Amino acid sequence: MDLFLNLVASGLVIGSVYGLIGMSFAIIFRTTGVLNFAQGEVMMLVAYTAWTLTHTLLFPFWLLVPSTIVLAALIGMAIERLFIRPMTGQPIFAIVMVTIGIAITLRSLTTLVWGHEFEGFSVPFSGGVVEIGPVFLLTEQLAVLILFMAVSAMTWAFFRFSRVGMAMRATSQDETAALLMGVDSRRMSSFAWAISAIVSGLAGVMVSVLFARAPDMWHFGLKSFPAAILGGLDSPIGAGFGGLIIGVIGELSAGYIWNGLKEISGLILIIVILMVRPYGLFGEKELERV
Amino acid sequence: MRTGNHIESYPRHISLSDNPVVWFWLVALMAAMIVLPAFSGLFVLGLAIRILIAAVGAIGLNLLTGSTGQISLGQSGFLAAGCYTTGLLIADYNWPPELALPMSGIVAAALSFLVGIPSLRLKGLYLAITTLAFSFIITQFLLFAEPITHGPYGVRIEDTVLFGFDLADPTTMYYFCLGILVLVTLGVLNIMRTRVGRAFNAIRDQDIAARAMGINLTTYKLTAFAASSFIVGLAGGLMAFQFRFINVDIFSVTLAIEALAMIIVGGLGSVAGAIIGAAFIILLPEFVGDAIGLLPAGISDVLARGALEIKGLLIGLVIILTLRLEPDGLIGVWRNLKRYWSRWPLSV
Repeated sequence: MDLFLNLVASGLVIGSVYGLIGMSFAIIFRTTGVLNFAQGEVMMLVAYTAWTLTHTLLFPFWLLVPSTIVLAALIGMAIERLFIRPMTGQPIFAIVMVTIGIAITLRSLTTLVWGHEFEGFSVPFSGGVVEIGPVFLLTEQLAVLILFMAVSAMTWAFFRFSRVGMAMRATSQDETAALLMGVDSRRMSSFAWAISAIVSGLAGVMVSVLFARAPDMWHFGLKSFPAAILGGLDSPIGAGFGGLIIGVIGELSAGYIWNGLKEISGLILIIVILMVRPYGLFGEKELERV
Repeated sequence: MRTGNHIESYPRHISLSDNPVVWFWLVALMAAMIVLPAFSGLFVLGLAIRILIAAVGAIGLNLLTGSTGQISLGQSGFLAAGCYTTGLLIADYNWPPELALPMSGIVAAALSFLVGIPSLRLKGLYLAITTLAFSFIITQFLLFAEPITHGPYGVRIEDTVLFGFDLADPTTMYYFCLGILVLVTLGVLNIMRTRVGRAFNAIRDQDIAARAMGINLTTYKLTAFAASSFIVGLAGGLMAFQFRFINVDIFSVTLAIEALAMIIVGGLGSVAGAIIGAAFIILLPEFVGDAIGLLPAGISDVLARGALEIKGLLIGLVIILTLRLEPDGLIGVWRNLKRYWSRWPLSV
């Protein structure tokens, strides 16, 4: 039983990371209909920038958080402005291919600038151990869970109550109608990229605190696809909780069945789910006309 | 005065090319390819072998993604499957290489049903993710199923003698790959001018309309998956002879992206485009490497250390720029030039 609870706990921790990245997939997909294959690389770039802020420029933690958020937003907006907006009006296929191009470009750029070394990322709250019943958690693992909860709540509130969030939902529902209501859909796309860069950037910082700031961090982007599919690509909150489920399933299957399943159980799960429901578990079926 | 290219009969419409000039240059190209080993060193020959194998793989991927419109990010999985099939059959089961190589294509095609059948209901992005997931599952299997695949230790291939020719010799390997590429090219070109090929294009352009015209989506999508995977698996089998020591690390996501870059840069849906794209993507880092060598010593040292990153950077930028400036790729540029030339002075 203790093993089970510990596996679930570590599954929830890794699942929070998947969930945050899944959420950032969904934020862009929901507003613009584009699946951003470069999400893992955006996350990596933000994490590396934050690492430089802490370890080279010696920013204190209270300054690190807001400056990381601002930088992440700028990175997201810059990518959207440079690569995605010029593709407006092209088929979605072409735009998605562009994001694959962005992915490999950012990945190479990051390792070119920062090198191949693994580096630790120290934050004031790391290093302690928290004991909840039979479950042992490191303080930074607990921090990931708390961050996930906080970001989910804020994302939900943002889309539900804020003016911009409602405008973004309107754009995804009917772009023409939103335009007629005075919503600038290009700005919405820019916002979506910024917000999703912030969410995945925070996840990236937490990944580097949990493991290391490493040149293979972008793998987390690919590993989070199952989360986004499970929860529905058009629902950020669904994608977040999809991440938790994928994380727990991954840990449990690795602990009880076979260690090799840790990385792929989520992928097997989504293949099965997509066979039954081709538009994801919570995704909406689109009607097509010829 | 020439007024255009008028096609007046059906056989002429579906012939591989109705232009004697094209045939002339093709024969010239083949002659140049055949005499190449006599004039080139080992380095150029090695590069040429890489291009030939990459072109076989790119043609396979293009048949699925370019011609049938099914975006697949998982063909590196089939490449790995083909490569390991050949390698393991020769190394562990002492199969003759003559049989082990075709098996690479057959196993990959059989595996493609495993991903093809679940993918029948999927479209676009969901299909891309499923195929990506599938290639992860294959590489994970290769890494962890140690009793069958040697896991992380890799496979060494000793017996490389095919029909009395030793493929460990670069010149023989070159001719062998050239032969396979010619066969695959002719095969795919001929598929594309039959009912099957037209059905593939119809599915790409509008699958619901294709179905209304009496095209069985299940059959043709699975055919496309199987044919494409067979060719990609064959390219994998060739890689086994090329490296003679194979390891899971070769088949990374980057490889899948490079393959995608080849067909995008060359021109989606075009066999010639896939070959040109393969040559372009393989040669690009080489030329840039040479160009970096010409820079002042201080800069070139810094850049040479990041050679792998610069290669990735270039591939990414090439994908982005091609899609932005010329979505039809290099073959599109060529077609535009040709049209401009043949219709001048009325061309725009």
